[in-house]
Amino acid sequence: MKVIGFSRQDSFGLGETGAMLNPQARWILRHEGDIIMDVGYGVHGARTLNLVEGADESPELKVLAVVNYTRPMTNSPARIIDFLTGLGRVDGIIANTHLGDETTLEIVCQGNRMIRDTVRQLGMDVMYAAVDQKFSNIIKPGDCEIPLKLIERYMPNAIW
Amino acid sequence: MDKVIGETKKAFLTGNETVAWAALAAGAEIMFGYPITPQNEVMHYWTRMAPKYNRNFLQTEDELSAGFTTCGAVQAGRKAFTATAGPGNVLMQEPFGMAEAMRLPLVAVIQQRGGPSSGTVVYSQQEVTLTTFGGNGEGMRIVYSTATHQEIYDYTIKAFNVAWKHRFPTFVLGDGYQAKMREPMEMYDPEDKGIEMVAPYPLIGLGGEIGAEREPAHLCNIYSLEEELYEVVLKHAAEFEALSPSIVEWTEGECDDADIIVVSHGVVSRAADDAVKALRAQGIKASYFRPITLRPFPQQALRNAIARSGAKKLLVAESAYGQLERLIKQEIYGETIKIETLFNPGVGIIDYDIISKVKSVL
Repeated sequence: MKVIGFSRQDSFGLGETGAMLNPQARWILRHEGDIIMDVGYGVHGARTLNLVEGADESPELKVLAVVNYTRPMTNSPARIIDFLTGLGRVDGIIANTHLGDETTLEIVCQGNRMIRDTVRQLGMDVMYAAVDQKFSNIIKPGDCEIPLKLIERYMPNAIW
Repeated sequence: MDKVIGETKKAFLTGNETVAWAALAAGAEIMFGYPITPQNEVMHYWTRMAPKYNRNFLQTEDELSAGFTTCGAVQAGRKAFTATAGPGNVLMQEPFGMAEAMRLPLVAVIQQRGGPSSGTVVYSQQEVTLTTFGGNGEGMRIVYSTATHQEIYDYTIKAFNVAWKHRFPTFVLGDGYQAKMREPMEMYDPEDKGIEMVAPYPLIGLGGEIGAEREPAHLCNIYSLEEELYEVVLKHAAEFEALSPSIVEWTEGECDDADIIVVSHGVVSRAADDAVKALRAQGIKASYFRPITLRPFPQQALRNAIARSGAKKLLVAESAYGQLERLIKQEIYGETIKIETLFNPGVGIIDYDIISKVKSVL
């Protein structure tokens, strides 16, 4: 796997200007192989995709919106619709309902069902639900009525 | 004002989002602000949500203006607030001083970044001195230092009530880590928790004949004579000191019997809490004390903890070069306990740092 982004050394000393786009990232869609772009932190969210050359035209690019029902911006059907319609291009939905360390199976299933039912109103389906693998012993594929992908959290805690 | 949150429930959000939601839930009507990292998302989320709840926002030309427009709005009886950080906090000291002078119910959220000057955009605890005693006044301010997102939510709501009830400018002091980090917390409408929000009221343009039907509203930040200023400052100081015992808040742990008390505030107190648990598990009699209000400071509570614990040492741990330590020394003057320090200006402190330091000084 090759990571394209600025390293700590690359941005050292740049201060606030260190938050600039790596030029390689601008042309990322011209690269060979499987490419995963993680965009969306902050208020502007997926709109930062407009910085990537070819993002509007590429037939290979799939824009997957990750929705967490415990996030205040997406904690009701109306807010989910508002959020998704504001993103522009969306090709698929990943349900990612969780509360960090306080996640329960009930929260996961309740939230993800709500996401599934809501996005159907937009003519879309949830591709899969991302669920912490700590639930692998108690969650079954049919529990949330959505395909599951168990994930490992590599940074589960803050520094405390 | 309509409820904003509805059903009380857990949510997963950043500290900056938390501020915006708490201000909405508290009934804030308008935010004035100017962009600066790491508080930007307070403005971003507020501007996203404000139109949906019939609230307002004004981006001013700089932080001086953001502070002064907040001063103006609260005089007009509007529940207003601002948020800033670092150099923005420096610029806002002039309007914050006006709020002190005129006893304005100004609420400001400070998300500390590194300093001096532009420092870093990341994190620090280097705005303690500035937020508690900044400006050319006497520090007649109320400052809550938060450690978790739940506290950011709770104390932002509380800040509006304290400010409008007592009319001292009130601050929520967070930091860049809290601003950007996501963690679960419970969002609620204050009335669902039995919290009665103090309704805002105009301070100017009041009806009634002055002298006959009401007292004059003296909102003044400049005086002709030294004696006038002297009387006002002494009056405000006396009211602040009388109020302080009912305002101070703190938490402590294991202070009944300890060899050392770790004193920290804000997010560093999370590390102190973990460190003390680990040290106790190793048989080391460590304890912690955390002032939640940095101004007024819970000085009697800290003096009591020192006396009760029998501790011979205080360890002051902070992401600054002695700003909390100076505050403590001034507040517990006369105590003979030895003070050790762990200063990481602009850098985070984890439990390991505190554990190592405690072991090195005991």
